[in-house]
Amino acid sequence: MILRVSRYRPGVDAEPVFQDYEVPDRDDWAILDALNHIKDTVDGTLSFRWSCRMGICGSCGMTVNGEPKLTCGTFLTDFTGPVTVEPLRGFAVIRDLVVDIDPFLANLSKVTPWLVREGEEPASEFAQTPEQLEAYKQYSMCINCMLCYSACPVYVLNPDFLGPAAIALAQRYNLDSRDMGDRFDVLSSEEGVWGCTFVGECTSACPKHVDPAEAIQRYKLTAALRSVLPFSRRRS
Amino acid sequence: MERHEYDVVVIGAGGAGLRAAIEARQQGKRTAIICKSLFGKAHTVMAEGGAAAAMGNVNSDDNWMVHFRDTMRGGKFLNNWRMAELHAKEAPDRVWELEAWGALFDRTKDGKISQRNFGGHEYPRLAHVGDRTGLEMIRTLQQRVVALQQEDFAVHGDYEAYIKVFAECTVTRLLKDDGAISGAFAYWRETGKFIVFDAPAVVLATGGIGKSYVVTSNSWEYTGDGHALALLAGAQLINMEFIQFHPTGMVWPPSVRGILVTESVRGDGGVLRNSLGERFMFNYVPDVFKDKYATSEEEGDRWYTDQANNRRPPELLPRDEVARAINAEVKAGRGSPQGGVFLDVSSRLPAAEIIKRLPSMHHQFKELADVDITKEPMQVGPTCHYIMGGVEVDADTGAASVPGLFAAGEVSGGMHGSNRLGGNSLSDLLVFGRRAGAGASQYVDGLTRRPAVTGVEEAMAEAVAPLERGGGENPYELHHELQRTMNELVGIIRKAGEVGDALDVVEKLKERAHNTASTGGKIYNPGWHLALDLRNMLLVSECVAKAALIREESRGGHTRDDYPGMSPDWRRKLLVCSAPPDGSEVTVVEKEQPSMRDDLITLFDRGELSKYVTEDELAEYDAALAAKKRES
Repeated sequence: MILRVSRYRPGVDAEPVFQDYEVPDRDDWAILDALNHIKDTVDGTLSFRWSCRMGICGSCGMTVNGEPKLTCGTFLTDFTGPVTVEPLRGFAVIRDLVVDIDPFLANLSKVTPWLVREGEEPASEFAQTPEQLEAYKQYSMCINCMLCYSACPVYVLNPDFLGPAAIALAQRYNLDSRDMGDRFDVLSSEEGVWGCTFVGECTSACPKHVDPAEAIQRYKLTAALRSVLPFSRRRS
Repeated sequence: MERHEYDVVVIGAGGAGLRAAIEARQQGKRTAIICKSLFGKAHTVMAEGGAAAAMGNVNSDDNWMVHFRDTMRGGKFLNNWRMAELHAKEAPDRVWELEAWGALFDRTKDGKISQRNFGGHEYPRLAHVGDRTGLEMIRTLQQRVVALQQEDFAVHGDYEAYIKVFAECTVTRLLKDDGAISGAFAYWRETGKFIVFDAPAVVLATGGIGKSYVVTSNSWEYTGDGHALALLAGAQLINMEFIQFHPTGMVWPPSVRGILVTESVRGDGGVLRNSLGERFMFNYVPDVFKDKYATSEEEGDRWYTDQANNRRPPELLPRDEVARAINAEVKAGRGSPQGGVFLDVSSRLPAAEIIKRLPSMHHQFKELADVDITKEPMQVGPTCHYIMGGVEVDADTGAASVPGLFAAGEVSGGMHGSNRLGGNSLSDLLVFGRRAGAGASQYVDGLTRRPAVTGVEEAMAEAVAPLERGGGENPYELHHELQRTMNELVGIIRKAGEVGDALDVVEKLKERAHNTASTGGKIYNPGWHLALDLRNMLLVSECVAKAALIREESRGGHTRDDYPGMSPDWRRKLLVCSAPPDGSEVTVVEKEQPSMRDDLITLFDRGELSKYVTEDELAEYDAALAAKKRES
């Protein structure tokens, strides 16, 4: 099996170039195993991020044959011919398959991703029923792997777009019965939910079934209602 | 050279590091968080089962004393009892605090935090969210840091005025001034440029050492950095012979061998079977636990619904017991086709319930092994998971023997004794992360002058050496040889001869490691990074092997084939490792454990204690108990 890997060495390469590596065509190998094989035995300078190998840390996202994928969960057997591996699209490349994630983290920080409370805190825990938990639990599954950003045609063209994961994260708190915050200003803007053209690629790309597209659509409705009825409460 | 001044530098951004940094910032200290990988991707994210805290939400009989007893039993009484006490007492507050910061937990019907059963815990005790509790914990702490940064921006106009994250930055040396900590020397993984932190207090929160083994649930970051940094700075490591092999790692496919299968599978009803279909764990209940575990499958099964009148099934014995049992079954030829045993939940719970309670496991086996755990059993075997040993610290403050050095979480030693209970790690991170952050802050408050940074030249020379050697050893080859050696010769079952052989190999590898060469320059060069990590892995492996050779008994995460029994005399002894600044040779000395405080030891009954302690200690116990009775 040929792995066609995008290499970029700042100061050496003017732009990324592909390099082909022959890797054993093992049916139990993920793309990540093949990359580690190259790094350990062929070229120790090949750079990429990874950690848990179990799809929970969200470090190993790359573009595999044109699609954003977690490389620990994408197998060689899914492909017949050469497999191209490139960095995630939509982000600046630092070296080889490593991209700059700072803009992504900055977007997450914009949506006040914590419980906003007023008044007395309970001595032990908040009351929250399993049903109330169910209302937002799905949006808490995000592993910050950035695949949804890489898949998003809006974000790739407009880096100011808040983006799928950040909006889903905002909804994770908006729909949390313990939260009293209001994220209207950041969400209901041109760079917020109204930037989304509802292509739905984010949801297709998400390895954790967070469904950011649905989060965005739901908030569009909330925001629209609030614009029409400016005094309506968020959870009314 | 890039240089920063801070009050407290925290190395590691998992649960312990983040909680320490939050505490230091809340105490007004300018705090740096340095982490080797990306912010929010530390090992804590992989923790599945939950955080043990005796909140009593599911069974109101639970309290800190029961949790304390379980922890001491799980560690075979080698634990630092003060740490076990603080941990049991403070864990509920830390869980509630996490919730107030935004963490979600699965709930009971009446809206409280739900708690699940786990090995070695008498009552349902683990606060959890499905089987991805670590992800929720790290995300909450990460976002707490962001929240504090936004508060600081509002006041000071600078997000990073009081807390700044240095991600993908690796520390290679702690710097000292006249015996006390004065900073840290690091390099940026991205650019290879060096960076000096000028700080009077350093909190180590670097996690474990699993990458010294082939089969491990740990990832590339776990190269024993904090352990080695502490040793080289003059601090001591204790309990390094105790390594937890988690009983249930994936055994197939080979590329994911060692990846964790959460203990929640057993906590929620899953059972272990051998190739004959037997629930073999009933044959492996050790004497010390005989009266606490069910003797028939019927009783064990009834326990899930009626804990008052039944004893727990032996699948929920502490991890060391289960790992040894699986090892023995496989060796006896009763293993599964792929070299493990069967872990079955498919015949125990309805498919929908499995998917609800164990969504990540369902996904993981489906994706990685093409196994549907709702329909068929998993194949599992032991995997190197956690090191009980670590930096010897003061229980209350996390302070190491070197002034200004603190440690919390997996890199510290003592809390878990010879074996950690599942669920006690996430709570450990929170309890002792906070305490180390507070300890470091108080230490800084007490200083009359800032220590000066020294030793930068030497640290830099050491770091660039692999790049400057043309034509030398390939660090990947050395690493693989070390992993094979430790896995085969200092694994679950140890023998004097084999451990001695391993030490010879480690000695030779240490020499060869002085001659590694990395090509490709300083910019994001994993070959160079590994060459630097090797020093730490070798040093830590030397500690593990030397201590394993000296401790002539079997206890918890240390099993000697040639000394199969547990010895009360050894229980009182800690093995303490130290090394000179060049790391040339690890020295191990014995040190006596202090006696347990009277009010704590009398929480146990005499019959149980007599299985662990010496006659002299039993006499102390009798005196303490008599005094307690006189008082009441």
